Amino acid sequence: MAETVALNNRRSWMIVPAHDPAAGTCHEKTKPDVVVLDLEYSVPPKAKESARAGLGALVKKLGDSQVEVFVRIDRATRWADVRAAMHRGIKGIVFSGPDAPEEVAELDELITAMERERGIDVGATELVLMLESAKGFWSADAITQASPRVSALGVGRIDLTMRLGPVPQDEFRLGRFLMTRALVAARMLDKQPLGALWRPGSRGGVANVAATIKAATEARLMGFTGCVCATPEQVAPVNEGFALA
Amino acid sequence: MNTQTLQAMQPDVEKPLFVGEKPMPKYIRRSVLALSIDDAQLGEKAYASWADAIILDCAKHPGRDWQADLKARVPAAIQAAARGGAEVFVRVNRDSAAAELEAVVFSGIAGVVLKGVTAPEDITAAAEQLDALEVSRGIAHGALEIDVEVDTAGAVWHSLAIARASERFGVFYVNEAALCQNLGMQSTPTLAFDPLEYIKSQLITVATSVGGQAMGMSYPLGLAQDNADEAIVKKAVRLARDTGFKGSMCPHAAWIKVCNEGFRPTAEEAAYYVKVIEVFAEGIKRGMASVPIDGKMIDVPVDLRAKLYLKWANRAQVRDDAKARAHERQGN
Repeated sequence: MAETVALNNRRSWMIVPAHDPAAGTCHEKTKPDVVVLDLEYSVPPKAKESARAGLGALVKKLGDSQVEVFVRIDRATRWADVRAAMHRGIKGIVFSGPDAPEEVAELDELITAMERERGIDVGATELVLMLESAKGFWSADAITQASPRVSALGVGRIDLTMRLGPVPQDEFRLGRFLMTRALVAARMLDKQPLGALWRPGSRGGVANVAATIKAATEARLMGFTGCVCATPEQVAPVNEGFALA
Repeated sequence: MNTQTLQAMQPDVEKPLFVGEKPMPKYIRRSVLALSIDDAQLGEKAYASWADAIILDCAKHPGRDWQADLKARVPAAIQAAARGGAEVFVRVNRDSAAAELEAVVFSGIAGVVLKGVTAPEDITAAAEQLDALEVSRGIAHGALEIDVEVDTAGAVWHSLAIARASERFGVFYVNEAALCQNLGMQSTPTLAFDPLEYIKSQLITVATSVGGQAMGMSYPLGLAQDNADEAIVKKAVRLARDTGFKGSMCPHAAWIKVCNEGFRPTAEEAAYYVKVIEVFAEGIKRGMASVPIDGKMIDVPVDLRAKLYLKWANRAQVRDDAKARAHERQGN
Protein backbone atom coordinates (compact mmCIF):
# COMPACT_ATOMS: atom_id res chain seq x y z
CA MET A 1 0.00 0.00 0.00
CA ALA A 2 1.07 3.58 -0.56
CA GLU A 3 2.93 4.95 2.41
CA THR A 4 1.68 8.03 4.16
CA VAL A 5 3.87 10.83 2.90
CA ALA A 6 5.35 13.59 4.97
CA LEU A 7 2.73 16.24 4.41
CA ASN A 8 4.88 19.24 3.68
CA ASN A 9 7.32 17.53 1.33
CA ARG A 10 4.89 18.05 -1.52
CA ARG A 11 3.97 21.70 -1.64
CA SER A 12 4.15 22.50 -5.35
CA TRP A 13 2.58 20.15 -7.88
CA MET A 14 3.70 21.57 -11.23
CA ILE A 15 1.59 20.67 -14.23
CA VAL A 16 3.72 19.80 -17.24
CA PRO A 17 2.02 19.01 -20.56
CA ALA A 18 3.18 15.50 -21.39
CA HIS A 19 3.48 16.26 -25.10
CA ASP A 20 5.78 19.23 -24.53
CA PRO A 21 9.29 18.54 -25.82
CA ALA A 22 10.63 20.38 -22.78
CA ALA A 23 8.64 18.26 -20.33
CA GLY A 24 11.69 16.29 -19.26
CA THR A 25 13.73 19.31 -18.26
CA CYS A 26 11.34 22.12 -17.35
CA HIS A 27 11.49 21.27 -13.66
CA GLU A 28 15.22 21.91 -13.48
CA LYS A 29 14.90 25.65 -13.21
CA THR A 30 11.78 25.92 -11.08
CA LYS A 31 12.36 22.91 -8.82
CA PRO A 32 8.83 21.89 -7.91
CA ASP A 33 8.34 19.28 -5.22
CA VAL A 34 6.26 17.22 -7.64
CA VAL A 35 6.10 17.09 -11.44
CA VAL A 36 2.64 16.21 -12.72
CA LEU A 37 2.87 14.98 -16.29
CA ASP A 38 -0.45 15.98 -17.75
CA LEU A 39 -2.63 13.99 -20.09
CA GLU A 40 -5.63 16.22 -19.37
CA TYR A 41 -6.44 19.78 -20.43
CA SER A 42 -2.98 21.07 -21.19
CA VAL A 43 -2.57 18.51 -23.97
CA PRO A 44 -4.36 19.27 -27.27
CA PRO A 45 -6.59 16.41 -28.46
CA LYS A 46 -4.37 15.82 -31.47
CA ALA A 47 -1.33 15.36 -29.26
CA LYS A 48 -2.90 12.97 -26.72
CA GLU A 49 -1.73 9.79 -28.40
CA SER A 50 1.83 10.94 -28.83
CA ALA A 51 1.83 12.19 -25.24
CA ARG A 52 0.78 8.76 -23.99
CA ALA A 53 3.34 7.03 -26.19
CA GLY A 54 6.14 9.21 -24.91
CA LEU A 55 5.43 8.81 -21.22
CA GLY A 56 7.73 5.83 -20.64
CA ALA A 57 10.82 7.65 -21.85
CA LEU A 58 9.78 10.82 -20.08
CA VAL A 59 9.32 9.09 -16.75
CA LYS A 60 12.69 7.43 -17.10
CA LYS A 61 14.38 10.74 -17.83
CA LEU A 62 12.69 12.46 -14.91
CA GLY A 63 13.48 9.53 -12.66
CA ASP A 64 17.15 10.27 -13.03
CA SER A 65 16.57 13.72 -11.54
CA GLN A 66 15.05 12.44 -8.27
CA VAL A 67 11.96 14.60 -8.64
CA GLU A 68 8.67 12.92 -7.70
CA VAL A 69 6.58 12.20 -10.77
CA PHE A 70 2.82 11.81 -11.01
CA VAL A 71 0.63 11.55 -14.11
CA ARG A 72 -2.65 13.42 -14.35
CA ILE A 73 -5.20 11.46 -16.32
CA ASP A 74 -8.24 12.67 -18.21
CA ARG A 75 -11.50 11.50 -16.66
CA ALA A 76 -12.99 10.76 -20.07
CA THR A 77 -10.07 8.61 -21.21
CA ARG A 78 -8.81 7.46 -17.84
CA TRP A 79 -8.50 3.79 -18.70
CA ALA A 80 -6.19 4.39 -21.68
CA ASP A 81 -4.34 7.08 -19.76
CA VAL A 82 -3.62 4.79 -16.80
CA ARG A 83 -2.35 2.08 -19.11
CA ALA A 84 -0.03 4.59 -20.71
CA ALA A 85 1.08 6.11 -17.41
CA MET A 86 2.02 3.00 -15.48
CA HIS A 87 5.80 2.88 -15.69
CA ARG A 88 8.33 2.14 -13.03
CA GLY A 89 9.35 5.53 -11.69
CA ILE A 90 5.99 7.23 -11.28
CA LYS A 91 4.82 7.82 -7.75
CA GLY A 92 1.17 7.97 -8.61
CA ILE A 93 -1.83 9.00 -10.64
CA VAL A 94 -3.76 12.26 -10.30
CA PHE A 95 -7.44 11.68 -11.00
CA SER A 96 -9.52 14.82 -11.49
CA GLY A 97 -13.26 14.83 -11.02
CA PRO A 98 -14.16 11.56 -9.27
CA ASP A 99 -17.90 11.41 -8.71
CA ALA A 100 -18.42 8.06 -7.01
CA PRO A 101 -16.46 5.50 -4.97
CA GLU A 102 -16.98 2.91 -7.70
CA GLU A 103 -14.91 4.98 -10.12
CA VAL A 104 -12.00 5.06 -7.69
CA ALA A 105 -12.31 1.36 -6.90
CA GLU A 106 -12.29 0.55 -10.59
CA LEU A 107 -9.22 2.67 -11.12
CA ASP A 108 -7.55 0.94 -8.18
CA GLU A 109 -8.15 -2.43 -9.82
CA LEU A 110 -6.77 -1.24 -13.12
CA ILE A 111 -3.67 0.16 -11.44
CA THR A 112 -3.16 -3.12 -9.59
CA ALA A 113 -3.38 -5.06 -12.84
CA MET A 114 -0.93 -2.70 -14.49
CA GLU A 115 1.48 -2.93 -11.56
CA ARG A 116 1.54 -6.70 -11.97
CA GLU A 117 1.97 -6.42 -15.73
CA ARG A 118 4.78 -3.85 -15.53
CA GLY A 119 6.66 -5.38 -12.60
CA ILE A 120 5.87 -2.55 -10.19
CA ASP A 121 5.37 -3.33 -6.49
CA VAL A 122 1.67 -3.97 -6.05
CA GLY A 123 0.12 -1.15 -4.05
CA ALA A 124 3.05 1.20 -4.49
CA THR A 125 1.30 3.56 -6.88
CA GLU A 126 -0.49 6.40 -5.13
CA LEU A 127 -3.76 7.96 -6.18
CA VAL A 128 -4.44 11.68 -5.78
CA LEU A 129 -8.05 12.77 -6.09
CA MET A 130 -9.02 16.28 -7.17
CA LEU A 131 -12.65 17.02 -6.36
CA GLU A 132 -14.43 18.91 -9.11
CA SER A 133 -18.13 18.24 -8.77
CA ALA A 134 -20.88 18.78 -6.22
CA LYS A 135 -21.38 15.03 -6.09
CA GLY A 136 -17.69 14.47 -5.51
CA PHE A 137 -17.53 16.96 -2.69
CA TRP A 138 -20.59 15.58 -0.99
CA SER A 139 -19.27 12.01 -0.98
CA ALA A 140 -15.61 12.88 -0.49
CA ASP A 141 -15.26 10.46 2.41
CA ALA A 142 -16.58 7.44 0.53
CA ILE A 143 -14.61 8.34 -2.60
CA THR A 144 -11.40 8.71 -0.62
CA GLN A 145 -11.92 5.44 1.22
CA ALA A 146 -12.60 3.54 -2.00
CA SER A 147 -8.90 2.83 -2.40
CA PRO A 148 -6.06 2.53 0.09
CA ARG A 149 -3.86 4.10 -2.57
CA VAL A 150 -5.37 7.53 -2.05
CA SER A 151 -2.72 9.74 -0.47
CA ALA A 152 -4.05 13.22 -1.18
CA LEU A 153 -7.37 14.94 -1.64
CA GLY A 154 -7.58 18.24 -3.43
CA VAL A 155 -9.89 20.99 -4.56
CA GLY A 156 -10.21 20.99 -8.32
CA ARG A 157 -10.22 23.61 -10.98
CA ILE A 158 -12.64 25.81 -12.80
CA ASP A 159 -14.79 22.79 -13.72
CA LEU A 160 -16.17 23.06 -10.24
CA THR A 161 -17.36 26.60 -10.80
CA MET A 162 -19.00 25.62 -14.05
CA ARG A 163 -20.75 22.58 -12.63
CA LEU A 164 -22.12 24.40 -9.62
CA GLY A 165 -23.43 27.24 -11.70
CA PRO A 166 -22.10 30.53 -10.45
CA VAL A 167 -20.09 32.81 -12.70
CA PRO A 168 -18.02 34.65 -10.12
CA GLN A 169 -17.73 38.36 -10.81
CA ASP A 170 -15.81 38.73 -7.61
CA GLU A 171 -14.75 36.06 -5.13
CA PHE A 172 -15.98 32.54 -5.88
CA ARG A 173 -18.20 32.47 -2.83
CA LEU A 174 -18.60 28.73 -2.74
CA GLY A 175 -14.86 28.32 -2.75
CA ARG A 176 -14.15 28.50 0.97
CA PHE A 177 -17.05 26.22 1.81
CA LEU A 178 -15.80 23.61 -0.65
CA MET A 179 -12.22 23.98 0.54
CA THR A 180 -13.39 23.49 4.13
CA ARG A 181 -15.26 20.36 3.18
CA ALA A 182 -12.28 18.90 1.32
CA LEU A 183 -9.97 19.79 4.20
CA VAL A 184 -12.18 18.12 6.80
CA ALA A 185 -12.43 14.95 4.71
CA ALA A 186 -8.69 14.87 4.06
CA ARG A 187 -7.74 15.42 7.69
CA MET A 188 -10.31 12.94 8.92
CA LEU A 189 -8.82 10.28 6.66
CA ASP A 190 -5.18 11.31 7.13
CA LYS A 191 -4.61 12.39 3.52
CA GLN A 192 -2.69 15.39 2.25
CA PRO A 193 -5.09 18.31 1.67
CA LEU A 194 -4.34 20.13 -1.60
CA GLY A 195 -5.73 23.50 -2.58
CA ALA A 196 -5.09 27.24 -2.67
CA LEU A 197 -7.34 30.19 -2.04
CA TRP A 198 -7.22 31.72 -5.51
CA ARG A 199 -8.71 35.18 -5.77
CA PRO A 200 -10.61 36.84 -8.59
CA GLY A 201 -8.50 37.65 -11.59
CA SER A 202 -5.69 35.50 -10.31
CA ARG A 203 -6.96 31.96 -10.58
CA GLY A 204 -4.49 29.15 -11.13
CA GLY A 205 -3.60 29.72 -14.77
CA VAL A 206 -2.99 33.44 -14.60
CA ALA A 207 -2.01 34.14 -11.01
CA ASN A 208 1.03 36.36 -10.66
CA VAL A 209 3.71 35.86 -8.05
CA ALA A 210 2.15 38.05 -5.36
CA ALA A 211 -1.32 36.59 -5.86
CA THR A 212 0.08 33.06 -5.76
CA ILE A 213 1.96 33.66 -2.52
CA LYS A 214 -1.24 35.03 -0.99
CA ALA A 215 -3.35 32.13 -2.27
CA ALA A 216 -0.87 29.56 -0.93
CA THR A 217 -0.29 31.32 2.39
CA GLU A 218 -3.99 31.65 3.14
CA ALA A 219 -4.52 28.02 2.18
CA ARG A 220 -1.72 26.97 4.54
CA LEU A 221 -3.32 28.94 7.35
CA MET A 222 -6.56 27.13 6.53
CA GLY A 223 -4.84 23.77 6.88
CA PHE A 224 -3.76 22.89 3.34
CA THR A 225 -0.22 21.78 2.64
CA GLY A 226 0.21 22.08 -1.12
CA CYS A 227 -1.47 22.86 -4.41
CA VAL A 228 -1.29 22.46 -8.14
CA CYS A 229 0.79 25.00 -10.07
CA ALA A 230 -0.67 25.71 -13.48
CA THR A 231 2.46 27.54 -14.62
CA PRO A 232 6.16 27.14 -13.76
CA GLU A 233 6.20 30.71 -12.42
CA GLN A 234 3.91 29.67 -9.59
CA VAL A 235 6.26 27.04 -8.16
CA ALA A 236 8.47 29.36 -6.12
CA PRO A 237 5.59 31.39 -4.66
CA VAL A 238 3.68 28.20 -3.85
CA ASN A 239 6.72 26.76 -2.10
CA GLU A 240 7.06 30.01 -0.20
CA GLY A 241 3.39 30.18 0.73
CA PHE A 242 3.27 26.62 1.98
CA ALA A 243 6.58 26.75 3.83
CA LEU A 244 6.00 26.22 7.50
CA ALA A 245 6.26 29.48 9.35
CA MET B 1 -36.46 43.94 32.90
CA ASN B 2 -37.59 41.61 35.71
CA THR B 3 -39.57 38.38 35.53
CA GLN B 4 -42.87 39.97 36.50
CA THR B 5 -42.69 42.54 33.75
CA LEU B 6 -41.78 39.98 31.13
CA GLN B 7 -44.44 37.51 32.22
CA ALA B 8 -47.09 40.21 32.10
CA MET B 9 -46.18 40.81 28.49
CA GLN B 10 -46.56 37.31 27.13
CA PRO B 11 -48.41 34.02 27.44
CA ASP B 12 -47.49 31.27 29.89
CA VAL B 13 -43.82 30.47 29.36
CA GLU B 14 -44.43 26.72 29.41
CA LYS B 15 -47.37 26.73 27.04
CA PRO B 16 -46.48 25.89 23.41
CA LEU B 17 -47.41 28.55 20.90
CA PHE B 18 -48.05 26.02 18.18
CA VAL B 19 -48.28 22.27 17.78
CA GLY B 20 -44.93 20.51 17.90
CA GLU B 21 -43.07 23.56 19.16
CA LYS B 22 -39.79 22.84 20.88
CA PRO B 23 -38.26 25.37 23.22
CA MET B 24 -35.89 27.71 21.44
CA PRO B 25 -33.16 27.52 22.50
CA LYS B 26 -33.44 24.09 24.05
CA TYR B 27 -31.41 25.07 27.08
CA ILE B 28 -30.72 28.41 28.70
CA ARG B 29 -27.05 27.70 28.91
CA ARG B 30 -25.41 30.95 27.91
CA SER B 31 -22.19 30.69 29.87
CA VAL B 32 -20.26 27.52 30.59
CA LEU B 33 -17.24 27.38 32.85
CA ALA B 34 -14.82 24.47 33.07
CA LEU B 35 -13.35 23.69 36.50
CA SER B 36 -11.09 20.93 37.74
CA ILE B 37 -12.24 18.72 40.58
CA ASP B 38 -8.69 19.11 41.89
CA ASP B 39 -9.25 22.84 42.33
CA ALA B 40 -9.39 23.55 46.05
CA GLN B 41 -11.52 26.62 45.29
CA LEU B 42 -13.96 24.70 43.09
CA GLY B 43 -17.07 25.50 45.11
CA GLU B 44 -16.17 29.14 45.60
CA LYS B 45 -15.30 29.65 41.95
CA ALA B 46 -18.48 27.96 40.72
CA TYR B 47 -20.60 29.97 43.17
CA ALA B 48 -18.99 33.29 42.32
CA SER B 49 -19.04 32.73 38.57
CA TRP B 50 -22.80 32.96 37.93
CA ALA B 51 -22.24 30.58 35.03
CA ASP B 52 -25.30 28.76 33.71
CA ALA B 53 -23.33 25.53 33.60
CA ILE B 54 -20.15 24.09 35.04
CA ILE B 55 -18.15 21.37 33.34
CA LEU B 56 -16.02 19.32 35.69
CA ASP B 57 -12.67 18.04 34.48
CA CYS B 58 -11.41 14.95 36.25
CA ALA B 59 -7.69 14.30 35.91
CA LYS B 60 -6.35 10.79 36.37
CA HIS B 61 -3.56 10.90 38.88
CA PRO B 62 -0.69 8.48 38.34
CA GLY B 63 0.06 6.07 41.11
CA ARG B 64 -3.54 5.86 42.23
CA ASP B 65 -6.51 3.68 41.30
CA TRP B 66 -7.96 6.57 39.31
CA GLN B 67 -11.44 5.07 39.05
CA ALA B 68 -11.72 4.55 42.80
CA ASP B 69 -10.20 7.97 43.34
CA LEU B 70 -12.75 9.69 41.10
CA LYS B 71 -15.67 7.70 42.47
CA ALA B 72 -14.73 8.92 45.93
CA ARG B 73 -14.32 12.57 44.97
CA VAL B 74 -16.73 13.36 42.12
CA PRO B 75 -20.01 13.34 44.13
CA ALA B 76 -18.74 16.08 46.43
CA ALA B 77 -17.35 18.01 43.48
CA ILE B 78 -20.77 17.89 41.80
CA GLN B 79 -22.39 19.33 44.91
CA ALA B 80 -19.77 22.04 45.16
CA ALA B 81 -20.12 22.99 41.50
CA ALA B 82 -23.89 23.29 41.82
CA ARG B 83 -23.76 25.74 44.74
CA GLY B 84 -24.46 28.77 42.57
CA GLY B 85 -27.39 27.13 40.79
CA ALA B 86 -25.44 25.99 37.73
CA GLU B 87 -26.16 22.81 35.83
CA VAL B 88 -23.23 20.45 36.26
CA PHE B 89 -21.62 18.28 33.60
CA VAL B 90 -18.59 16.03 33.58
CA ARG B 91 -16.14 16.00 30.68
CA VAL B 92 -15.16 12.56 29.42
CA ASN B 93 -12.54 11.45 26.89
CA ARG B 94 -13.82 9.32 24.06
CA ASP B 95 -10.76 7.04 24.12
CA SER B 96 -11.46 5.88 27.66
CA ALA B 97 -15.13 6.80 27.86
CA ALA B 98 -16.39 3.51 29.27
CA ALA B 99 -14.04 3.53 32.25
CA GLU B 100 -14.46 7.26 32.85
CA LEU B 101 -18.26 7.15 32.74
CA GLU B 102 -18.22 4.39 35.30
CA ALA B 103 -16.13 6.61 37.57
CA VAL B 104 -17.86 9.99 37.18
CA VAL B 105 -21.59 9.51 36.59
CA PHE B 106 -23.50 10.30 39.77
CA SER B 107 -26.77 11.88 40.74
CA GLY B 108 -26.58 15.64 40.44
CA ILE B 109 -25.07 15.93 36.97
CA ALA B 110 -27.16 17.01 34.02
CA GLY B 111 -25.03 15.07 31.59
CA VAL B 112 -21.62 14.42 30.17
CA VAL B 113 -19.51 16.23 27.59
CA LEU B 114 -17.67 13.84 25.30
CA LYS B 115 -14.46 15.06 23.71
CA GLY B 116 -12.47 13.42 20.93
CA VAL B 117 -15.57 12.05 19.26
CA THR B 118 -14.99 10.86 15.70
CA ALA B 119 -18.08 8.84 14.82
CA PRO B 120 -21.71 8.27 15.86
CA GLU B 121 -20.76 4.95 17.41
CA ASP B 122 -19.02 6.91 20.16
CA ILE B 123 -22.38 8.39 21.11
CA THR B 124 -24.38 5.17 20.94
CA ALA B 125 -21.82 3.40 23.12
CA ALA B 126 -21.95 6.16 25.72
CA ALA B 127 -25.76 6.27 25.59
CA GLU B 128 -26.01 2.53 26.24
CA GLN B 129 -23.71 2.83 29.20
CA LEU B 130 -25.69 5.75 30.59
CA ASP B 131 -28.85 3.61 30.35
CA ALA B 132 -27.25 1.14 32.74
CA LEU B 133 -25.64 3.74 34.98
CA GLU B 134 -28.91 5.60 35.43
CA VAL B 135 -30.44 2.40 36.80
CA SER B 136 -27.54 1.53 39.06
CA ARG B 137 -27.00 5.07 40.37
CA GLY B 138 -30.63 5.97 40.97
CA ILE B 139 -30.94 8.53 38.21
CA ALA B 140 -34.17 8.94 36.24
CA HIS B 141 -34.12 6.98 33.01
CA GLY B 142 -33.06 9.12 30.06
CA ALA B 143 -32.26 12.12 32.25
CA LEU B 144 -28.59 12.38 31.39
CA GLU B 145 -27.63 14.41 28.37
CA ILE B 146 -24.73 13.72 26.03
CA ASP B 147 -23.00 16.81 24.70
CA VAL B 148 -20.19 16.70 22.18
CA GLU B 149 -17.08 18.84 22.23
CA VAL B 150 -16.22 19.11 18.55
CA ASP B 151 -12.45 18.86 18.28
CA THR B 152 -11.84 16.42 15.42
CA ALA B 153 -12.39 16.36 11.67
CA GLY B 154 -14.42 13.19 12.13
CA ALA B 155 -16.86 14.91 14.48
CA VAL B 156 -17.39 17.63 11.91
CA TRP B 157 -17.80 15.30 8.97
CA HIS B 158 -20.19 12.96 10.83
CA SER B 159 -21.96 15.71 12.79
CA LEU B 160 -25.45 14.86 11.56
CA ALA B 161 -25.09 11.16 12.32
CA ILE B 162 -23.58 12.03 15.70
CA ALA B 163 -26.45 14.35 16.60
CA ARG B 164 -28.97 11.73 15.53
CA ALA B 165 -27.20 8.87 17.28
CA SER B 166 -29.08 9.27 20.55
CA GLU B 167 -32.07 11.07 22.01
CA ARG B 168 -29.66 12.14 24.71
CA PHE B 169 -27.75 14.43 22.37
CA GLY B 170 -28.04 18.04 23.45
CA VAL B 171 -25.20 20.35 22.48
CA PHE B 172 -22.23 20.77 20.19
CA TYR B 173 -19.42 22.75 21.79
CA VAL B 174 -16.98 24.12 19.21
CA ASN B 175 -13.47 23.78 20.62
CA GLU B 176 -11.79 26.05 18.11
CA ALA B 177 -8.20 25.65 19.23
CA ALA B 178 -8.32 21.85 19.30
CA LEU B 179 -10.24 21.70 16.05
CA CYS B 180 -7.75 23.95 14.29
CA GLN B 181 -4.94 21.75 15.51
CA ASN B 182 -6.70 18.63 14.28
CA LEU B 183 -7.33 20.21 10.89
CA GLY B 184 -3.79 21.51 10.54
CA MET B 185 -5.05 25.09 10.62
CA GLN B 186 -3.22 28.06 12.07
CA SER B 187 -4.30 28.17 15.69
CA THR B 188 -3.92 31.94 16.00
CA PRO B 189 -6.42 34.23 14.28
CA THR B 190 -4.20 35.48 11.46
CA LEU B 191 -6.64 35.30 8.57
CA ALA B 192 -9.01 38.13 7.70
CA PHE B 193 -11.86 35.61 7.69
CA ASP B 194 -12.95 32.85 10.05
CA PRO B 195 -11.47 29.60 8.72
CA LEU B 196 -14.06 27.70 10.75
CA GLU B 197 -17.01 29.72 9.44
CA TYR B 198 -18.58 26.91 7.46
CA ILE B 199 -17.91 24.32 10.13
CA LYS B 200 -19.65 26.51 12.69
CA SER B 201 -22.59 27.02 10.33
CA GLN B 202 -22.83 23.28 9.84
CA LEU B 203 -22.75 22.49 13.55
CA ILE B 204 -25.35 25.13 14.40
CA THR B 205 -27.68 23.86 11.68
CA VAL B 206 -27.20 20.21 12.52
CA ALA B 207 -27.67 20.65 16.27
CA THR B 208 -30.79 22.73 15.76
CA SER B 209 -32.18 20.19 13.29
CA VAL B 210 -32.38 17.57 16.05
CA GLY B 211 -33.73 19.99 18.64
CA GLY B 212 -30.39 20.68 20.26
CA GLN B 213 -28.13 23.70 20.10
CA ALA B 214 -24.56 24.75 19.38
CA MET B 215 -22.28 26.68 21.68
CA GLY B 216 -19.37 28.75 20.47
CA MET B 217 -17.88 32.17 20.01
CA SER B 218 -17.36 34.35 16.95
CA TYR B 219 -14.04 34.92 15.18
CA PRO B 220 -11.45 35.99 16.17
CA LEU B 221 -12.22 35.86 19.91
CA GLY B 222 -13.31 32.23 19.78
CA LEU B 223 -9.87 31.24 18.54
CA ALA B 224 -7.81 33.78 20.45
CA GLN B 225 -9.65 33.11 23.75
CA ASP B 226 -8.38 36.47 24.99
CA ASN B 227 -9.32 38.00 28.28
CA ALA B 228 -10.40 40.98 26.21
CA ASP B 229 -12.11 44.21 27.19
CA GLU B 230 -15.78 43.88 27.97
CA ALA B 231 -16.74 45.89 24.89
CA ILE B 232 -14.86 43.45 22.63
CA VAL B 233 -16.39 40.40 24.28
CA LYS B 234 -19.83 42.00 24.09
CA LYS B 235 -19.49 42.61 20.36
CA ALA B 236 -18.18 39.07 19.81
CA VAL B 237 -21.07 37.57 21.79
CA ARG B 238 -23.61 39.51 19.75
CA LEU B 239 -22.03 38.25 16.55
CA ALA B 240 -22.01 34.70 17.90
CA ARG B 241 -25.68 34.97 18.88
CA ASP B 242 -26.56 36.37 15.48
CA THR B 243 -24.75 33.45 13.87
CA GLY B 244 -26.86 30.98 15.83
CA PHE B 245 -24.83 30.06 18.88
CA LYS B 246 -26.85 29.91 22.09
CA GLY B 247 -23.98 30.25 24.52
CA SER B 248 -20.27 29.77 24.89
CA MET B 249 -17.59 28.17 26.96
CA CYS B 250 -15.98 30.91 29.00
CA PRO B 251 -12.19 30.64 29.40
CA HIS B 252 -12.21 33.76 31.57
CA ALA B 253 -14.58 34.62 34.39
CA ALA B 254 -15.09 38.05 32.81
CA TRP B 255 -16.79 36.48 29.81
CA ILE B 256 -19.59 34.99 31.92
CA LYS B 257 -21.53 38.15 32.70
CA VAL B 258 -21.31 39.27 29.08
CA CYS B 259 -22.47 35.87 27.83
CA ASN B 260 -25.35 35.78 30.31
CA GLU B 261 -26.52 39.17 29.09
CA GLY B 262 -25.68 38.68 25.44
CA PHE B 263 -27.03 35.23 24.62
CA ARG B 264 -30.62 36.30 25.10
CA PRO B 265 -32.86 38.98 23.64
CA THR B 266 -32.07 42.39 25.09
CA ALA B 267 -34.61 44.41 27.11
CA GLU B 268 -35.02 46.70 24.09
CA GLU B 269 -35.71 43.74 21.84
CA ALA B 270 -38.19 42.32 24.33
CA ALA B 271 -40.01 45.64 24.48
CA TYR B 272 -40.17 45.74 20.70
CA TYR B 273 -41.55 42.19 20.55
CA VAL B 274 -44.28 43.16 23.01
CA LYS B 275 -45.21 46.03 20.74
CA VAL B 276 -45.24 43.72 17.71
CA ILE B 277 -47.53 41.24 19.44
CA GLU B 278 -49.93 43.93 20.64
CA VAL B 279 -50.13 45.79 17.33
CA PHE B 280 -50.53 42.59 15.32
CA ALA B 281 -53.29 41.29 17.63
CA GLU B 282 -55.12 44.60 17.20
CA GLY B 283 -54.73 44.34 13.42
CA ILE B 284 -56.14 40.81 13.38
CA LYS B 285 -59.16 42.03 15.34
CA ARG B 286 -59.71 44.62 12.62
CA GLY B 287 -59.58 41.90 9.96
CA MET B 288 -56.06 42.62 8.68
CA ALA B 289 -53.46 39.99 7.77
CA SER B 290 -50.51 42.30 8.19
CA VAL B 291 -49.85 45.60 9.91
CA PRO B 292 -47.03 48.14 9.70
CA ILE B 293 -44.80 49.08 12.64
CA ASP B 294 -42.08 51.67 12.22
CA GLY B 295 -42.00 51.07 8.47
CA LYS B 296 -41.80 47.27 8.83
CA MET B 297 -44.56 44.89 7.83
CA ILE B 298 -45.74 42.58 10.61
CA ASP B 299 -47.48 39.38 9.61
CA VAL B 300 -47.95 35.89 11.06
CA PRO B 301 -44.32 34.70 11.02
CA VAL B 302 -43.05 37.99 12.45
CA ASP B 303 -45.66 37.79 15.20
CA LEU B 304 -44.67 34.20 15.90
CA ARG B 305 -40.99 35.09 16.04
CA ALA B 306 -41.77 37.89 18.48
CA LYS B 307 -43.58 35.45 20.74
CA LEU B 308 -40.75 32.91 20.55
CA TYR B 309 -38.11 35.52 21.30
CA LEU B 310 -40.13 36.91 24.16
CA LYS B 311 -40.41 33.43 25.54
CA TRP B 312 -36.66 33.06 25.21
CA ALA B 313 -36.16 36.32 27.12
CA ASN B 314 -38.52 35.12 29.80
CA ARG B 315 -36.82 31.76 30.17
CA ALA B 316 -33.46 33.49 30.48
CA GLN B 317 -34.89 35.68 33.22
CA VAL B 318 -36.34 32.65 34.99
CA ARG B 319 -32.90 31.06 34.85
CA ASP B 320 -31.29 34.17 36.32
CA ASP B 321 -33.88 34.24 39.09
CA ALA B 322 -33.22 30.58 39.90
CA LYS B 323 -29.50 31.23 40.19
CA ALA B 324 -30.22 34.25 42.39
CA ARG B 325 -32.32 32.07 44.69
CA ALA B 326 -29.51 29.52 44.86
CA HIS B 327 -27.14 32.28 45.90
CA GLU B 328 -29.58 33.50 48.52
CA ARG B 329 -29.88 30.01 49.96
CA GLN B 330 -26.12 29.65 50.09
CA GLY B 331 -25.88 33.09 51.66
CA ASN B 332 -28.18 32.01 54.43
